[in-house]
Amino acid sequence: MVQINQAQRELALKIVYYGPALSGKTTNLISLHERVASEVRGRLLTVDTKDDRTLFFDMLPVFFRSSNDLKVKIKLYTVPGQVIHAATRRLVLQGVDGVAFIADAQKSATQANNEAWRNLMDDLRANGLDPLEVPIVIQFNKMDLPGAMSDEEIRDAGEKGTEPVFRAIAVRGEGVVETLHGALQLTYRDLDRRYGLGAKFRLSEDEFLGEVFRSIDPRDSEVDAARVRAMVVGSGE
Amino acid sequence: MSGHFLDEKIPLGELLDLKSFQEVCRSFVELYKIGLKVFDAAGQKLVDIKVGSGDFCGYLFTNGEGARRCTATVLKVKTDPLEESKIHTVQCFSGARYLVMPLLYDMDVVGRAIFGPFVPEDLEELPPTLTDLDGLDFQHASKLMSKIRRAPDSTVAKVLEHFVKVCDVLVFSAYKVNLTSRMHIASVRESFKELAAKNAKLEESYQQLQELDQLKSNFLATVSHELRTPLTSIIGYAEMLIEGLAGPLGPEQLEYLRTIMDKGESLLGLISSILDLTRIESGKLRINTEPFDLEAMVANAISSVLPQANRRGLKLSAEVSPELPQPVLDQEKITQCVVNLLANAVKFTPEGGTVVVRIGPAPRMPAKPLGRFDAVDAYFRIEVQDSGIGIPAEQLGRIFDSFYQVDGSSTREFGGAGLGLAIVRSYVEAHGGEIDATSSPGEGTTIQMILPRVFTPGIRVEQESRRQAS
Repeated sequence: MVQINQAQRELALKIVYYGPALSGKTTNLISLHERVASEVRGRLLTVDTKDDRTLFFDMLPVFFRSSNDLKVKIKLYTVPGQVIHAATRRLVLQGVDGVAFIADAQKSATQANNEAWRNLMDDLRANGLDPLEVPIVIQFNKMDLPGAMSDEEIRDAGEKGTEPVFRAIAVRGEGVVETLHGALQLTYRDLDRRYGLGAKFRLSEDEFLGEVFRSIDPRDSEVDAARVRAMVVGSGE
Repeated sequence: MSGHFLDEKIPLGELLDLKSFQEVCRSFVELYKIGLKVFDAAGQKLVDIKVGSGDFCGYLFTNGEGARRCTATVLKVKTDPLEESKIHTVQCFSGARYLVMPLLYDMDVVGRAIFGPFVPEDLEELPPTLTDLDGLDFQHASKLMSKIRRAPDSTVAKVLEHFVKVCDVLVFSAYKVNLTSRMHIASVRESFKELAAKNAKLEESYQQLQELDQLKSNFLATVSHELRTPLTSIIGYAEMLIEGLAGPLGPEQLEYLRTIMDKGESLLGLISSILDLTRIESGKLRINTEPFDLEAMVANAISSVLPQANRRGLKLSAEVSPELPQPVLDQEKITQCVVNLLANAVKFTPEGGTVVVRIGPAPRMPAKPLGRFDAVDAYFRIEVQDSGIGIPAEQLGRIFDSFYQVDGSSTREFGGAGLGLAIVRSYVEAHGGEIDATSSPGEGTTIQMILPRVFTPGIRVEQESRRQAS
């Protein structure tokens, strides 16, 4: 749940990267850490485990001070995908403001995606949240792998719900910025609707997103802020 | 709005290992010869190392106004608001100087690092803010001041920035460890809650199962009893008809009646077995011990399966070790065991096969011996070996379960309710013995009972309760 501290003029929100084991949640964060300007992000906190999977969670803080001197802190968390870490997943999801669901685009992972999606719904409910109310975007990662779903299949999958859908190859950084942009935009609109962010703090959507994505690595020809905006427009509402 | 436990703010002093941190600070001070102070966000002093300034500051503090001005400077150093990541300069009235920088974590100020006092390189003489004090020997003060390191601001700023970077890494690492352990604890707690809920559910199911089990036993006992009464009449009347009490009968009628009586008796046997089993399960089994002769017992048991064995041309034999003394057990139940084993052996051995009963010394103790000081010679063995169809290895473990059939299909070749071996096991265990089976499919099966020579009720119970007490 967003924390708004009027006295200290501070806004703290939480985005959780959720999805099946090995779908690329940590890779998304690593890639974002490389791309988001160093002035607006902290260190990536990762608990490495021997078998190369996330034991507890990863966390990447993104922060900026708005023109109106509001301190905005966004924490991006990943959850461990393994079945045995159900408790940790639920704990990390406590008070979430927006979710980026990282699905594995390989057809062989459909079952795991379905399972993780069901778990997400259960975990949200277990935390007293209405899954229909929580802003969620879906990313189909690993689009470069031979067994990946076709564009048509992804479109079909997207049409089954209202969540904006993004395609990604997180190891190459493709699609990760778009996904975060989508998630933050949905989350901003949700918070604005519920708490009147724009009016109360004079923090517009453009400024909010503009600050986070202000200097996306220009070397990455695939990703630029304008394109991001173009991609997300029209989706998610 | 209450924050998530992962966002909890922890005082710097708790986050860092203070002793190690102070050591790091000391090494900085030794290297740069400038004093260092570290405060947490609440103004708690964590580190205070002075270099060369003690005498100078001490001397100024002896002056009333000097002490007041000194305190004001220290307060400024401690509480002046700081801008993120920027160096803040605090000028001391004595001409010395402090540089202050915030320690940050996630945009929050978690503390401040202060390098100083140092004497700015461009300070040529004592400033008027010091020389306007009355009653101080300024020559002496100058001499004491010369012990404080003289350095340009830019040098001290560099050192401070470097120190803050080191602190940044320390704080980050400490937060990481702290978050991990908090998450660990929370996860364990959460998992424990889940397990506790599951356990409660299991406990409930177990209770329900126990109740159902009791219901089943009661049901079986009642039904068996109710079946037995009319069945006894059927058998009795059939017997009277056979004996001609109702007039003479033709051979075909006699044959039919004998079939009715035979089948009636086997039904009665089955019902009796069910009754036995329910009695065993409800814990009402009583062991009545008496000494008895093993050879006579075996002969008796063999005689009861002889008709079936003869019909199938099986060779039945018994080998009883002559040196065994008479056992003191429940003769009726032991006989029943041997009969059940023999009946099974006869049923599953093809025509022309052999069935042997062997009674001899026990090859080993049972896994749970009856008495605390028992040796192997306190036990003996009864074994029934056949040359029958055998039992697949994966099913051997289950053949002593009630109602279990190796061939459980509806089209199975061999009849029976699957109670014979269950009853045998219950009787053997009630005596403090043990039963096991070995088999090779197609070659035959051997079932071995290891029984105590003398059954003394209550011994094992005492042993169990002692084990619990210790």
